[in-house]
Amino acid sequence: MATIVAACMTSHAPNMTATPAAAPAQRKRFLAGLEEMRRRLVAARPDLVVMFVNDHVQNFFYDNLPAYCVGVGDKHWAPRGAAGFLKIPERQVPGASDWGKALLATGLEAGFDLAVSHDLEFWDDVSVPAHFLMPEGTLPIVPVLTNCVAPPLPTPKRSWALGGFVRRFIEGRPAHERIALLATGGISHWIGVPNTGHINPEWDRWVLDTIAEGQGEELAALTWSQIERDGGNGGQEIRNWISVLAAVPGVKGEILTYEPVKEWLTGCGAVWMQL
Amino acid sequence: MSDYQLNRVLYEKARAHKMVDSIGPDELADYELTAEERAALAEGDLEALFRLGANPYLIRRVFRHKFAV
Repeated sequence: MATIVAACMTSHAPNMTATPAAAPAQRKRFLAGLEEMRRRLVAARPDLVVMFVNDHVQNFFYDNLPAYCVGVGDKHWAPRGAAGFLKIPERQVPGASDWGKALLATGLEAGFDLAVSHDLEFWDDVSVPAHFLMPEGTLPIVPVLTNCVAPPLPTPKRSWALGGFVRRFIEGRPAHERIALLATGGISHWIGVPNTGHINPEWDRWVLDTIAEGQGEELAALTWSQIERDGGNGGQEIRNWISVLAAVPGVKGEILTYEPVKEWLTGCGAVWMQL
Repeated sequence: MSDYQLNRVLYEKARAHKMVDSIGPDELADYELTAEERAALAEGDLEALFRLGANPYLIRRVFRHKFAV
């Protein structure tokens, strides 16, 4: 069986790169956490990274909006059109087409009705974390997208089940494969709604402490309403984290950094799972 | 009333990476919108857009400059 050599989660926000002069002290501390994550990812020597992320209504619109989708392209834009706004150079990062197609086919056989895309353009969801964690742009990325932004959303419980399936899929792969898992999104943020900019550090701390204690499955019991109330509409992105947690159940997390950054409109955390 | 057409207006702006303060009637001829939706787009009325069912991420992306934060 293939090996999960790394499992980690980080928040994403466009202002991490779009407004580089904002919140300098918090920015420095948060990016130090990401730098530590980058160092550990390199040391883990993965062959590819499965990224659990969410679209921000850039690839998928209301005419065709999957609950879950696997990106099977040979490469992905990260970023393309958003490059100017994000202040990140336009670039394409490598995909892992055969691996993604195998995940898709096996998922369908296992009852996970995944959608598929051969052509994805990412915003801050992939582009910003990849800018800091994989600046060289050589590690192949298999994106697994969850609808976190256009309700009704798939349940956290289903995201947990999906993460468990990904673990079983990896266990069925050839032994030489070294797989990293990375989720982006969350933690609490209210975005585009009347109280845009609100952050709930208390909920963020609960999420992080729950993960640190190896109790990630508790997050899978959350409902849409609970997340909307305590984590905001942006908190719904915690589904991405839940899938990674499900792939390494019972494992405790190490909180690398947490900063509620008003200027980024986001409670920003980064966690490394202690495999 | 479906909010699909309202979201289509915002999605197409966002896909073109346009950030604006207002979307006026001259740009909306091809969309089936209510008078209330047209007014909210013309005024860039964030709360009205939200109330009318516009996706918050699209509101944010298109009318970014109108947010206090």
